[in-house]
Amino acid sequence: MPRVVVLIPAYNERATIASVVHQIRDAAPGYDIAVINDGSRDDTAAIVAGLDGAVLLDLPCNLGIGGAMQTGYIYALRQGYDIAVQCDADGQHPVDQLERLVGRVLDGTADVVIGSRYVADTGYQPSFVRRLGKSLLSRWVDALIGGGVTDTTSGFRAMNSRAFSIFAHSYPEDYPEPEALVILHRHGLRVAEIPVRMLPRQGGESSIRPHSALYYMVKVALAIFIDLFRHYRPHTHPDAEQHEEQS
Amino acid sequence: MDANSIGQDGFYLVHRVGLLFASVLLVVAVLELVRRGYLKERYALLWLFASGACLLLGLFPQLIVYLSNTFGFQYLATVYVFSFLFLIAIVLAFSVVITQLSERSRTLAQELALLEQRLRLLEKERR
Repeated sequence: MPRVVVLIPAYNERATIASVVHQIRDAAPGYDIAVINDGSRDDTAAIVAGLDGAVLLDLPCNLGIGGAMQTGYIYALRQGYDIAVQCDADGQHPVDQLERLVGRVLDGTADVVIGSRYVADTGYQPSFVRRLGKSLLSRWVDALIGGGVTDTTSGFRAMNSRAFSIFAHSYPEDYPEPEALVILHRHGLRVAEIPVRMLPRQGGESSIRPHSALYYMVKVALAIFIDLFRHYRPHTHPDAEQHEEQS
Repeated sequence: MDANSIGQDGFYLVHRVGLLFASVLLVVAVLELVRRGYLKERYALLWLFASGACLLLGLFPQLIVYLSNTFGFQYLATVYVFSFLFLIAIVLAFSVVITQLSERSRTLAQELALLEQRLRLLEKERR
């Protein structure tokens, strides 16, 4: 029986976190759950600490979604999980699809499987600016990684230990999802996608504000562009941290 | 001698004195900051280099003439351009330092969260 952990990054998600954890426990009773509290200013951490069957990783300050997710990947690696699933805390991700995502990873046809909003049969309608930014970016990222992914910004994804041990070592800081795909591709991992129907937020606020859509696009484009010139050595064990000279 | 008088080498005395004064002030300030532990030697070297450059230009203003002729600037423009380039270099170096620091603080925060979780688990088991 493969060990699966669902990683949920949470920033000020007091309204939804408990119900998301409960839904996941009901939908996939065999999976472990770890909530990464990203320095929330509300009582998200206290709520999670009081829940049965969810591990709390409580960051002392707000690192942003990238730093929070990476904490989860490091946890998955050190606990020796086979599969890690990334899932939002706001209830947008359909947890009844978790086992479908994980199944695709387990059958060995892909190292990472993304639950995609844009593949036919979804009920998700983002704003115009965000849709434009995302579709341009998605197309570019998709071209870079050789096609097959239409929703590069989806944060609903399952992966095997090969993938999350890379992420435990290096993961983009903000708006990490598209860049993370390029990193995986550069390491020679296979990414697949299945359609899922996203749900409206159940509460809380989106971490991407409308006016930051431009920054989002430019930053991710730059990061991906520079990444193309980065030299990837054969992957070393993430726990073997590099030793920098001490000042 | 009037401070605004022009010396034999064609330089305002006040500029030379100003440069010398600035360089001495900078050296004293930097050394004092290092002594009090507010500034690391590593970055102090950058600023000592800057004050060294000021000192050199104050003592040998002909250097400015030489640079001006080489690059085709007015002599005051030369001073500005080189100060500006130096500041750009320092700010870039600081951006690198900030990046390193934020990487480290991220790692520390992550390790803290992971350790705290293990601690909580241990405490629960002991009870």
